[in-house]
Amino acid sequence: MSRGYYDYPVVRRPVWTWEVPAYFWLGGMAAGAYITASLAQTFGSPDDRRAAAGGYYVAAAALVPCAPLLIADLGRPDRFHHMLRIFKPLSPMNLGAWTLTGFTPIAFARAASHAAATGLLRGPLGALSRLVPTRLAELAGCVLGLMLAGYSGVLLAATNIPLWAKSKLLGGLFMASALASGSAAVTLQAARRGAPDATLHRLAMLESAASAGEIAVLAGYLMQSGRTARPLTRGRFATPFWMGAVGAGAVVPFLLHRLAARRRGRALQSLSTVAGLCTIAGSLALRWSIFEAGKISSEDQGASFELSSD
Amino acid sequence: MIDTYKRLMNVEPPPPAKKPRGFFTDTSLCIGCKACEVACKQWNRLPADGFAMTGNSYDNTGSLGATTWRHVQFIEQAKANSSRQDQRWLMMSDVCKHCANAACLEACPTGALIRTEYDTVYVQQDICNGCGFCVPACPFGVIDRAPKHGQFEPGTAHKCTLCYDRLKDDMTPACAKSCPTASIQFGDVEELQQRARRRLAELKARGETKAELYGMPEGKEAAEVGPLHAFFLLLDRPQTYNLPELPRLPRKTMAQRYGWSAAVGVGFALVGALVFGRRR
Repeated sequence: MSRGYYDYPVVRRPVWTWEVPAYFWLGGMAAGAYITASLAQTFGSPDDRRAAAGGYYVAAAALVPCAPLLIADLGRPDRFHHMLRIFKPLSPMNLGAWTLTGFTPIAFARAASHAAATGLLRGPLGALSRLVPTRLAELAGCVLGLMLAGYSGVLLAATNIPLWAKSKLLGGLFMASALASGSAAVTLQAARRGAPDATLHRLAMLESAASAGEIAVLAGYLMQSGRTARPLTRGRFATPFWMGAVGAGAVVPFLLHRLAARRRGRALQSLSTVAGLCTIAGSLALRWSIFEAGKISSEDQGASFELSSD
Repeated sequence: MIDTYKRLMNVEPPPPAKKPRGFFTDTSLCIGCKACEVACKQWNRLPADGFAMTGNSYDNTGSLGATTWRHVQFIEQAKANSSRQDQRWLMMSDVCKHCANAACLEACPTGALIRTEYDTVYVQQDICNGCGFCVPACPFGVIDRAPKHGQFEPGTAHKCTLCYDRLKDDMTPACAKSCPTASIQFGDVEELQQRARRRLAELKARGETKAELYGMPEGKEAAEVGPLHAFFLLLDRPQTYNLPELPRLPRKTMAQRYGWSAAVGVGFALVGALVFGRRR
């Protein structure tokens, strides 16, 4: 017996499509990679700095499809610039649009300055890129990067979709996933280019910390959500969520890094590569499964009533 | 300098504020004729939604949406083996609530959703870029985005305008004008609220003990979204009409959510500083 009006939903089904979780994944990874690379530049050894600076390329590359994905998802893509006609941080969507607008050029400038410093970028463009104030770009990029990685979960949670809004931790969860995937991308490129063992060990430690944090936040998210999390933990999205987001995204890389802690050379590089790939794939699975399960949750009349009776 | 900017950018001054206008929908008077649905569609030139039969009483409209701004609900309450007196048929014409604190308006990143001089919530069709954020933000499931490749205003968000164009000419909104039983009443919100209180007292005196008002300033449903400028007299619990007991305004918990997110980010940065700083 339903308590409401037939079994009709209380809220409307979100109209967003696959572009949104894909953007959350890429934007988060870009921010995570940029922050990881900048942490290495600021605190790391010369080896760390050399190996992690490739993270700036990762960040720039991951940002390339971001704005097109966001624009493609609009009902009126020709009016994408209306996002920036006002500054309204109260709206996470507006804040996100401004953050992406600020972060993208900084990430590109920092990547170009690294390319110029290593001799990859020559000529007038290289000379121009050498003028980029790297320390300032790192600091500003880290602040904007944290905002970019942190707002996406809050955006989904600032709705009335039970699966997204019930727990207070979705923003933290997406942040953890972004930082885990970003640091994984840095590890991945460092391992492929044969970075020294000590650097790979440090990167593995950072990535493990992010994975452990992600597992902790995820546990809190599921506990706070309770019955509301059912569209995610059971049914169609159970496999991508448990196997993809939890298994491949956090548990497997955490274990692989523990294994890698005592290895050196090729074995360490291989383990780091596999762990990195798992984390990145799991991060996409997390965004996609929570996003899609939210649509099912929107049709759950009982969950809506539970959300609106606290 | 701001004046120069406004002149250069052709910024119009907002129209002077008027008295807040709204609807009082008295469901005890609704006879389910759907004249409001039809009048709304005609005046606002909204396309038909097809002839799908839901099988749920006379409700073949289903829900409010981009092209349906009034929706008449039919609730059949009958217990098995009960006497005729225990059976009743509740009808209610649902509409955008024009909340005092509107979740859709706060979510809107472009400023397309505005509060008008009549204190109503309105989507500027030339500004909306169809980002879709207002759709899941609304706690009542009112606003929706028209299909991207449809015939009607493709890709932008739509909902009841409280007939903004008619208000500008001092006319009554189409639905209220067409309502044959005065179940939909239009007017100054404060005056309507007085009228609603009187009507509730009258019904209670007649023995309608379950009657209640939904969306009044003193109601607990107004705790977050504020008083509803389109409010209701109901004959049963709000949930019977799919109305949430405590409609949530996402802004209220946003700082806390950002806080957790920031805590995770700062934690990561600290771990990073420790990990890289520990150079043997």
